[in-house]
Amino acid sequence: MNKLKAQEVTIVDSPYKDPGKTKWSVQEKLLLGLTPQQYVAQALRNPFNWLLAIIFAIGLPIIAGRFLFGLSWVTDSSYDYPWGLFLGFGLFTLVPLSSSGFQLGTAVELFGRHDLKPIERLALLNGLLGYFFAVCYLLVDLGQPWRLPYPMLIAFGPAAVLFLVAWHVATYLSVQIAEVSVSFFEWIGFPMGKQAVRKITLGLTVAGIILSTLHQGALGALFTYAPGKVHPLWYSASFQWLHFFVSSMPAGLCMVIVVGSIVKKTMAWRCDDNFMKNVDKLSITLARGACMGLATYLTIKLIGVAHDNKWEYLASGWGLWYLFEIGVGVILPLVLISFAIRNNKIGLVRFSALLTIFGLVLNRFNTALITFNWKLGEWFIPHWREVMITVTIFAIYIMVYRFILYRLPILYTWKTADEPVHVTEPIKESATYVTG
Amino acid sequence: MKRRDFLKAWMICGASTTFGITRNAWGGASFEGYPERMGVLVDLTRCVGCRSCEAACNKEQQLPAPSAPFDDLSVFDRKRRPTEKAYTVINRYETTKAGGPVYRKIQCNHCNEPGCLSSCLVNAYTKTQEGAVIYNPKVCIGCRACMVACPFNIPGYSYSSAFNPLVKKCVFCYDTRLKNGKSPACVEICPQETLTFGHLNDLIKIGHERIREMPDKYIDHIYGEKEVGGTGWIYLSGVPFDKVGFDTTLGNEPIISNVKEFLGLIPMVLAIWPALFTGFHLLSTRNNNDPSKQGDSHSYREDAKP
Amino acid sequence: MHVVRNWLIRGVLVIALTIAPADSRAQNMPDSIDLDSLVQFYEKVSFDHAKHIGLSKDCSVCHHHTTGTPTEDANCIRCHKNSAATAVVACTACHSAQPFSAETIKKNKSNVKSYHKDMPGLKGAYHQSCGGCHARDGGPTGCQDCHPRKKSGDAFYHAGEYAPKTPKNGKSRGR
Ligand code: SF4
Ligand code: SF4
Repeated sequence: MNKLKAQEVTIVDSPYKDPGKTKWSVQEKLLLGLTPQQYVAQALRNPFNWLLAIIFAIGLPIIAGRFLFGLSWVTDSSYDYPWGLFLGFGLFTLVPLSSSGFQLGTAVELFGRHDLKPIERLALLNGLLGYFFAVCYLLVDLGQPWRLPYPMLIAFGPAAVLFLVAWHVATYLSVQIAEVSVSFFEWIGFPMGKQAVRKITLGLTVAGIILSTLHQGALGALFTYAPGKVHPLWYSASFQWLHFFVSSMPAGLCMVIVVGSIVKKTMAWRCDDNFMKNVDKLSITLARGACMGLATYLTIKLIGVAHDNKWEYLASGWGLWYLFEIGVGVILPLVLISFAIRNNKIGLVRFSALLTIFGLVLNRFNTALITFNWKLGEWFIPHWREVMITVTIFAIYIMVYRFILYRLPILYTWKTADEPVHVTEPIKESATYVTG
Repeated sequence: MKRRDFLKAWMICGASTTFGITRNAWGGASFEGYPERMGVLVDLTRCVGCRSCEAACNKEQQLPAPSAPFDDLSVFDRKRRPTEKAYTVINRYETTKAGGPVYRKIQCNHCNEPGCLSSCLVNAYTKTQEGAVIYNPKVCIGCRACMVACPFNIPGYSYSSAFNPLVKKCVFCYDTRLKNGKSPACVEICPQETLTFGHLNDLIKIGHERIREMPDKYIDHIYGEKEVGGTGWIYLSGVPFDKVGFDTTLGNEPIISNVKEFLGLIPMVLAIWPALFTGFHLLSTRNNNDPSKQGDSHSYREDAKP
Repeated sequence: MHVVRNWLIRGVLVIALTIAPADSRAQNMPDSIDLDSLVQFYEKVSFDHAKHIGLSKDCSVCHHHTTGTPTEDANCIRCHKNSAATAVVACTACHSAQPFSAETIKKNKSNVKSYHKDMPGLKGAYHQSCGGCHARDGGPTGCQDCHPRKKSGDAFYHAGEYAPKTPKNGKSRGR
């Protein structure tokens, strides 16, 4: 794509093909303004697409098999590990990694941090997709996925934490769709819709914070149902929800940092100057937030151990594993980020963001799978088909993510030609807001 | 503009608190249990490991044929747990105590405040007046939280069914027997009367009486009298309970107590957050120095722009 | 009601028996008893009473304080040290064949004063009583050593000709 752009091919970034005259058709918009031949050619040139193709070739039939032959065909059907990779990764990991939406929404819309605007949409999209695919993982994992709406419509278990999660994720998903729909309305050319959503932005954002606080915490609280099964070092009756909630914050921010840098490298053609110029600076701003989050998280983790007086567990093998998780997944990134921020080292910020994400994934895996049932002396070893499905859904996630970034005005500003473009205006969005 | 935003905030706040009230079902303080509930006292010192109860359960619950005959004692070579195909199993434990191995029956303990029940988001479980914890297969969505929440690792799941997988566990023979005042199939078949069926409150007394009359024979503890809030099936043993596969670290608090702390937070968050964050918002956007934008309720978006 | 009547009858009989010649009870004593409470799945057991008398000599091992030699069980002595023999000594007289039926449970509950609330049912009494000595003194302990299984029993236990056809395969679900 970068090459095409260099060849002066026009890529859709406004409603009109040539200033003020013909509009792009939806099909042309979908093809980014390329001819079908050009589109296919560029797709085939991209080695990443080939990787995706291989994954899908193996994974999609397995997903189909899961629905035809049942869960026992793809998992080890363990009674002691009712939750495997689908939830361990899809729900317990992907949801905290998607906390970016509510955080940036809050910062920009509530706290007036308009300097974060160039990446707000990316963060919102990251949130939306993460939640959406968490639901996809859930659908694969549920025994009777067609009954997903039951807790909303048919049978209520209001004392159950999962009931809360179900309601909140469903509501929050709608909130996020509304938030991201602004970009969609711009792209499709439906200013009325955009305006309607704009009107309720504040409400949406506040709803976002409430719902996020509760269900990020609720995912942790779910494990308070199994006090004897999660290892004491990963369990805290009073703080479990807080641990999950707080750790989701730096992880969500780091996810935006990482996605931002991937995008900058691989999709430069799609990013506008505003994004390209700001992304590094903003990554550091986000890193600052992540740093605070990590420090808080570290503190409450220690409080958790001290509160229940669990020090003696640290001396066991599990204790070493715990120290590894905290050391490599929390303390190391904390130190690295602080150092990188002070010295303005963007590369190091990215690396430590990755490390933070690793730390979060490890924590969720440890809680939900690795140390789960520590008393039984068993190990959770997933079936290969289970791994394959998990990878495949993640590949679909990446593909959809990319599909949307290619098209919707997330990384670039939708130019509305009715309004003379302020060439000198560094933030072009203002043009959009006035007219859009 | 300010007033409007505040109003909006309070509306959200009001709506969400109302929403929160529905969540208070758990708040019914501590539950004393149905007075007439039945239970079973399992006396491990009596069990001879004949596996008749397994056979009876298999027949009564119309479970699939076993992979080995019910008189095959080689199954004791490894520890088993209840599964979708066997709601109850007997395990053998070699102990140092004279008198040979100790056998232990495992099945759902029919907790007074069941973890499975409180974790279920579609309320598929019911604790009946008779003391059984039963399951409604028609609403189960298959999230398997109940399996996670059961402190005794009881529920099995028919993973192999593609279109109607269900949780499978002992139901105290509720539909076929208990409901009609009959003892469960496993109790009825047991030749040793290892299983004593009766009103739970009476069984607790009987258990203590046995301990009192034969202090050398029994450990002075009834497992399940207090564990996780008390269970409907309770146990007597001649050897320490942790030596025969019981988890003695569960404590006496019912599972739901662990979760209450978090559930208690919900109404608070719902009530306080909207006002709090709207307040933050107003504070942080108050210094709008461009008066021309004041009329537009969304003007803050542009305010910070250069 | 029922219980009260029982006690009355017993009391009368006890008096009658103590007056009667000492060996009149011995004459009523069966040499062999058919135990048939498990005929649904097992052949009935022909219990050789005479042989067991010869082996044990101590009646109280099985009959508690109701007949023959007095009980030596510390718990029973507390009340029954001087109890006279009872009229009816058959196991079935006290141990119910339906110990957990709704009626039995209700009856036990309504009789607040009864002490023997934890009395095993008939089947439990047999097995607990026989099994203890058999294990200790090398008597038969396997189920079918005393009562061979019938066809219906084989079906129930999925054994014999009803045994699972497929060989036990090691791979079972649920680690
Ligand atoms: S009570 Fe019924 S379902 Fe439960 S183990 Fe006994 S026979 Fe099986
Ligand atoms: S033992 Fe487990 S399955 Fe049975 S009632 Fe208790 S929590 Fe539920």
